[in-house]
Amino acid sequence: MRRRDFVRAVLAAGAAPKLLLGQQAATPAPPPPAPVPWLLGLTEKTPIPHVEAADQVATAAFRFFSPEQMSTLTRLSDVLMPALGDKPGAVQAQTPMFLDFLIGSSPEERKQVYSKGLDWLDAESKKKFNAAFATLTDQQAGELLKPWLRTWLNDHPPAEEHADFVNIAHDDIRTATVNSKEWSLAPQKGTEPRTEEELYWSPIQPDLSPRNVGSGSVQPHVQAVPPSGHRMPSYQR
Amino acid sequence: MLNETYDVLIIGSGHSGGMAAKILTEYGIRCIILNAGPVADVTHDAQRKHAYELPYRGFRPPGQIEHVFQSNGFNANIWVDEREVPYTVEQNQPYNWVRVRLFGGRSLFWSRQSFRLSDYEFKAKSHDGFGEDWPVSHADLAPYYSRVEGIFRVMGAQDGVPQLPNGNFIPDDAPWTTALQRFIEVAKPRGIPVCKQRRAQGRDGLASSVNLLLPDAESTGKLTSIANAVVRELTVDKNTGLSNGCNFVDRLTHREMRVKARVVVLAAGTLESTRILLNSNLANSSGLVGHYLMDQVYGPGVLASVPEARKGNINAVMGSAAIVPRFRNITTKTDKFLRGYAINTTASVEAVSARNFALYGAELQRKLEEYYGSGFYMTIMGEVLGRYENHVRIDKDAKDAWGIPVLRVDTKYTDNEFHMAKDAVDTACELAEAAGFEILSKNDKPNPPGYSIHEVGTCRMGNDPKKSVLNKFSQSHDHKNLFVVDGAQFTSSGWQNPTMTILALSMRASEYLAGEMTRQNI
Repeated sequence: MRRRDFVRAVLAAGAAPKLLLGQQAATPAPPPPAPVPWLLGLTEKTPIPHVEAADQVATAAFRFFSPEQMSTLTRLSDVLMPALGDKPGAVQAQTPMFLDFLIGSSPEERKQVYSKGLDWLDAESKKKFNAAFATLTDQQAGELLKPWLRTWLNDHPPAEEHADFVNIAHDDIRTATVNSKEWSLAPQKGTEPRTEEELYWSPIQPDLSPRNVGSGSVQPHVQAVPPSGHRMPSYQR
Repeated sequence: MLNETYDVLIIGSGHSGGMAAKILTEYGIRCIILNAGPVADVTHDAQRKHAYELPYRGFRPPGQIEHVFQSNGFNANIWVDEREVPYTVEQNQPYNWVRVRLFGGRSLFWSRQSFRLSDYEFKAKSHDGFGEDWPVSHADLAPYYSRVEGIFRVMGAQDGVPQLPNGNFIPDDAPWTTALQRFIEVAKPRGIPVCKQRRAQGRDGLASSVNLLLPDAESTGKLTSIANAVVRELTVDKNTGLSNGCNFVDRLTHREMRVKARVVVLAAGTLESTRILLNSNLANSSGLVGHYLMDQVYGPGVLASVPEARKGNINAVMGSAAIVPRFRNITTKTDKFLRGYAINTTASVEAVSARNFALYGAELQRKLEEYYGSGFYMTIMGEVLGRYENHVRIDKDAKDAWGIPVLRVDTKYTDNEFHMAKDAVDTACELAEAAGFEILSKNDKPNPPGYSIHEVGTCRMGNDPKKSVLNKFSQSHDHKNLFVVDGAQFTSSGWQNPTMTILALSMRASEYLAGEMTRQNI
């Protein structure tokens, strides 16, 4: 709008203010002609979609524990952290499935503690009760586990063989269960542990260079379309 | 401005770099700060979440920060990723190098315990014959400690214990809770002092370089700062042999750049400053750069339960925290070890963690309820002796994400530290039992060196250029325009959290530097 036109419009508005206001409310100003600055519409008022953590909705493929180890871990989780009161137990909180993912992603040392530990527990069970650990009663499982329970301070779990597995697994099973959505949604009573809720720091300005292995999955820029059958315009950026 | 030569280049923006920037710019000196990481903006980079919304349910992401025991799934991304900036160690000699490269560095997240060193540390060799005395005494640093305590608003009591000098504190006159009273009653006859904790209150719940130091420097208009500037090496003027700036690489784009300055102040944290010096071949006529790596023994401790506080009876019994300053080898002498340790003591009102009971299931849950808020924690902070063989060097076979050679850390604890840890746990158990507390768990094995995040000593200060890297003003014996103002300059580690001493030394060095520049000696 040229300045003179603008002045004229303001004068006209002064002449019939009520009429003009009424019109404004009924029909908002038309959008500016193309090219449209679409991003103007993205503001702090833009609704943010609500999303779920994938493992709350979808199932994952087992990738680390063998089927036998998984049955042993599931029974172990249920014994060590059964459902109490309104709170879910480890099995309801999908803890064994989560541990398959966590331990399967972990360094070799931690993997060994779990796979050797689960195999040992099942072997002990077969030796003593002539049955797989997965089929033991609470009483029988307790007979195998209780001799290995220890008390310990942060960062110093027992180093003794078998006690290391039993106590580390117990701690991991508890943490994974208390931090599950199922636990968080169940009513809270008294001093029951709470799902951790804290300030989460997202990755802060990751290194954009494709040379950096650690950030190899981060694309430095929007990529040009790769060469294909039909010629697509492409240029160096 | 391109091609500008700054008065002072400061590498690092944590407590030591922030203090140098504040002091120097307030003298009108034009400074440039390079920080290896980005600015942390909590309003953009963080939001409250439940653990189940995180990639690993609150567990720390496997493989990213294996040595940062302090980390969890919430804060995993604030620490230096060990895949991006690795370091190497000797077999069976683990080392935990815990780093933050955000603007402000570790000053954003420190525990804020604020102690002075005493002459039992500064003049330790005169006291017991081991190591070297510092070239400064408590009297030299006292005025600077006072100013630092004012800026950081340290709360504490004037306990009047010689091994824990009084200071310029916001008075803490809260009465001891009954759990602490009982502890004091049994400690006193054993000659073990119990003092109020001393903690920096800061402003608005934060006591960091980014809110207490850097804003003062910025308001002078004399400070330029660059984020994501990873220093490759210092550059040297061929004619004078003095450093004249540095080469750095942009963290995000890997673009190689350089800045020029008349003076260089290293404040990148003990081991990063040391790495830069070693990669630059500077300040090392003594051959001691990288040697005498020390920190403090952390990990050993005792958790007891106060019987009266159980079953929800927490009020009046629990709460409040104390520091037991070093008491071994002060007026008496033990033949088991040199120096000594402090005990951090907390009567917690929180849940006692499940791992303190050899139980599971319903039985465990009943016990957790009963013991809630009755935990009495005693944890050691022990002095590590400075030994030549405990050192870092450049590992020529390993490079970080920007092709900069990394550090190899070659250090281990000796019997002195192990005996000290055992004595601390025995003593804590004795005190707890005498006070009628029930001991739940204990551990006398130290965490790996470095865990305390109090690494110091790899550019030690001293009067003899053959036996030290820096002089008593944190200035290189070899190059008059090169200063190291972080923990690297410590001659002994002490049992105290080093932050107040780092700040006081940086303040003192910066005022000396400002004076020398004004007199045109530098």
